[in-house]
Amino acid sequence: MDPFVEMSVRLGIPLALLVVTYFIGTALERRHYASIRERESRWRNLPAITIRSIPSHWQVIECTLITGSVVISVDYFKRFLAGLRMIFGGRVKAYETLLDRARREALLRLKEDAVERGCQAVVNVRLETCRLANARKSQSIAGLEVLAFGTGVKLLNVP
Amino acid sequence: MKFKPSLPEDGINVSHTHPLREALLLVGGVVAIGAAVATAVAVAVDLAAPHIPIELEARLFSGWIDRGVEDDGAVAPRERLLAQLLNRMARHWPENPYVFEIAIWDQPEPNAVALPGGVIAVTNALLESVESENELAFVLGHELGHFHSRDHLRGLGRGVAFSLLLVALGVGGGGSAVQLASLAGRFAQRDFDRTQEIEADRFGLALLAAEYGHVSGATAFFEHLPELDGPLEGAFASYFSTHPLNADRIRALHAAASEMGWALRGERQPLPLLSPAR
Amino acid sequence: MILSNVETVPGKQITNFFGVVSGSTVRAKHIGRDIMASFKNIVGGELKGYTELITEAREDAIARMVQEAESLGANAVVNIRFSTSSVAQGAAELFAYGTAVTVE
Repeated sequence: MDPFVEMSVRLGIPLALLVVTYFIGTALERRHYASIRERESRWRNLPAITIRSIPSHWQVIECTLITGSVVISVDYFKRFLAGLRMIFGGRVKAYETLLDRARREALLRLKEDAVERGCQAVVNVRLETCRLANARKSQSIAGLEVLAFGTGVKLLNVP
Repeated sequence: MKFKPSLPEDGINVSHTHPLREALLLVGGVVAIGAAVATAVAVAVDLAAPHIPIELEARLFSGWIDRGVEDDGAVAPRERLLAQLLNRMARHWPENPYVFEIAIWDQPEPNAVALPGGVIAVTNALLESVESENELAFVLGHELGHFHSRDHLRGLGRGVAFSLLLVALGVGGGGSAVQLASLAGRFAQRDFDRTQEIEADRFGLALLAAEYGHVSGATAFFEHLPELDGPLEGAFASYFSTHPLNADRIRALHAAASEMGWALRGERQPLPLLSPAR
Repeated sequence: MILSNVETVPGKQITNFFGVVSGSTVRAKHIGRDIMASFKNIVGGELKGYTELITEAREDAIARMVQEAESLGANAVVNIRFSTSSVAQGAAELFAYGTAVTVE
């Protein structure tokens, strides 16, 4: 193969992919954060706590299991950064937003599930994470699943 | 126990380094490490290569090249002609420890390579493009130069040792990082390759002068050969290529010839018939 | 900041509660440590580099969780839980979460 073409292919395609995914990934992340912030302030009045016991002045009518889960992955650019970071060690900054977004999104979905079921609070909230999309090939997909679950309570007196 | 609706401060769970800054830092680090490791490997191999015994080399690498021996066991005529020319050139290198063999490869690029074990491979395209015996003699002399400084082992060793290191790193690190380091490493090693080419050119030139009394034809090969680098041009081409640009080599050859007082002009010998049809 | 992994802070009374606060982190060790660990893995025993890694990650996550609680004006986090995942090989990812409260 012509050396110029060969080098363009070997260097150019990954480079172009990095640039494109950087812009797309950044835009998607910004949009997701905007949505997270908006919904967090909308549901701020709904208490979700890790405490198991229900405050004594709440009068509970009914309770039910509430869940919220999400699977998200990062863009190629951030995966590239994380791959390089593995060599030097330290905080893998590229993946921090992935964890942050996944956790907040799961908690929001938990609250939204609670609202849908007519609950006014969620107690004994637990978070579980697992690597879902990644099982087969170790580094091809960096997907993260976060499951939030808790007990939703319907109250007579809204707190 | 009262509920106080409020939200924690945003952005505590993420670092605020700009991703592009992080990218620049990490890429810079990997490139530096790759280049440093490749250079260290190249220096180590350069030091070790001259100490590998010729017999060991011959034993390790014999019998892996098609030498153009015909079905009845006789050496094909073109190979025989080339071997005769090669032996005439090698006579001017009396301490030569190798027993050389010629292989002709059917490939579209005009090229010649020195292979471990004393094999010199030339392509059909090269044989068709040369116009005089002197020119071909210089190409063979150049390859003898590679054997003289054991470049074939050095080039091979550099590549293999560096690749092995990368594989070891690849077990722990990401794929993209390894690729980046390997690219940086190959750039770092290209100066070693180029120095070898220039030195082999000088060796070939000396053999040519000793054989014919002049060095006419030495640069002819580069002059009518299209740049190996194709459409790459200028500084870019010179940066990426492992071989010096043809123009640079011609300049270096002229300089060497005038330094040694070798005549650049002289009668060139006609070439024996070499194209595969005949 | 008082941290506890039971429902209450023993000996104190919860006056206000805010909601879930959490800290998360992803950390890795440099490649030399990874290679040493893979050798150590052959004979078994403690992988010191990775013990260190998990400790650092846990401290990091707790510090961030505490920071979130402070930003709410809480003085304790109760019923703290940890959760781990593995997005990337050789990296430790940790969640620490609990309920931010004020106690008296």
